Amino acid sequence: MQFVVNPSDDLPLYRQIMRQITEAIAGGRLQRGEKLASHRELSEQLVIAPLTVKKAYDELEALGYIETQRGRGTFVSATVPVTARKRQLGHLEEAARKLLSQAYLAGLSFPDAVSLLEEADRELRGIAPLQEKK
Amino acid sequence: MTPVLEFQDVWRSYGTSAPVLKGVNLSLDAGEVVGLVGRNGAGKTTLIRIGMGMLYPHRGSVRVFGMSPTEQAVAVKKRIGYVAEDQALPPDSTVADLIAFHRYLFPGWDDAMERQLLNRFALREGAKIRQLSKGQARQAALVCAVCHRPELLILDEPGGGLDPVVRREFLETAIQLLNREGTSILFSSHHMSDVERIGGRVVLLDGGTVRFDRDLAALREEVCVAMIPGGHGIDAEAIGRIPGCIRVRPVFDDWHAVMEGQPGETQRRIAAALRIQGVRCVPVPLEELFIELAVDPVEQLQ
Repeated sequence: MQFVVNPSDDLPLYRQIMRQITEAIAGGRLQRGEKLASHRELSEQLVIAPLTVKKAYDELEALGYIETQRGRGTFVSATVPVTARKRQLGHLEEAARKLLSQAYLAGLSFPDAVSLLEEADRELRGIAPLQEKK
Repeated sequence: MTPVLEFQDVWRSYGTSAPVLKGVNLSLDAGEVVGLVGRNGAGKTTLIRIGMGMLYPHRGSVRVFGMSPTEQAVAVKKRIGYVAEDQALPPDSTVADLIAFHRYLFPGWDDAMERQLLNRFALREGAKIRQLSKGQARQAALVCAVCHRPELLILDEPGGGLDPVVRREFLETAIQLLNREGTSILFSSHHMSDVERIGGRVVLLDGGTVRFDRDLAALREEVCVAMIPGGHGIDAEAIGRIPGCIRVRPVFDDWHAVMEGQPGETQRRIAAALRIQGVRCVPVPLEELFIELAVDPVEQLQ
């Protein structure tokens, strides 16, 4: 899978990598048990320090998303942790309210907001967008 | 473990002018990367030249692999690769001559690496140095600096005056060396995005000393910039007394302060200390942080 990093982004480089991997897992573009690029491959591909890639992988491993098998490489965990649904629900309701209020303030309707979510879903799952972005 | 490179309380001046370096302490362990940043005239090149044994420190000591770079110059230089911004190469030599000379000097020359780099840079071996562009000449110097597989690579503004493509090729080469050889790297640069990419520690040289020395990966999460509204009878001293304040400067009617800590928590800390509202804290990219730390604290025009 392809990654993109931007050194002048607000997020540090290692967090940019973490986010792209968790999004790919969430959307199923990275399957359970799938092999990830090695530190060296990703470092040379993205032209960033190998230690930056290692930091991203170490943090993802500590969170349970990926696992390193000695001598074989790094893989998406067979059992990706399900975040405690009850606690997460509160955050999600808040995020949904925030999204809707911002959409309404921008003059969008409820169906417009829903189609935004549909586009985000297609992006996460790696499906081509329904229509060209204007 | 002996550091690969170690400066201890290094002082240096030129002639009778004020010292350029006033007690620099900096050390690099094996496999570490340090990005040396600072404004023009901050002493980056002077420090690097002292490390290379091209200049003596007037006070303090420098050790490379535990040795003196002036007294044990040959033993040290065998293990270092160095590219200067203004690298003087013999204009009438060809690229092939230049490489042959370095291969003769360094017994452990890696022919495969030489081939690979010449191909990547598309350097013609028959070309004379005087016919090369600035970027090509710097690439030739890089080939000569890395093919003996040095343990320490010192790059003095490798991107200075070069186009983005050549700069990226320099970075790619450095990152390849990090991956394949575990080379330690000290490089100075004005390009903060290059510093971010190559990682490791960022060291800011300012006023002749090391003002800031921090691991890059953690930097954005440990340091933020606070924008504090002016007026309210608040002055730089009051802000400077807040725990974790690294630097304060006036920006028009407001204050900008570089602070230890994450934005949310820092914002509350400042508001509580100064008893005011309207303080805003943001995480900062390296370029902005550099400007906040290195700009002269002169009064702004009213």
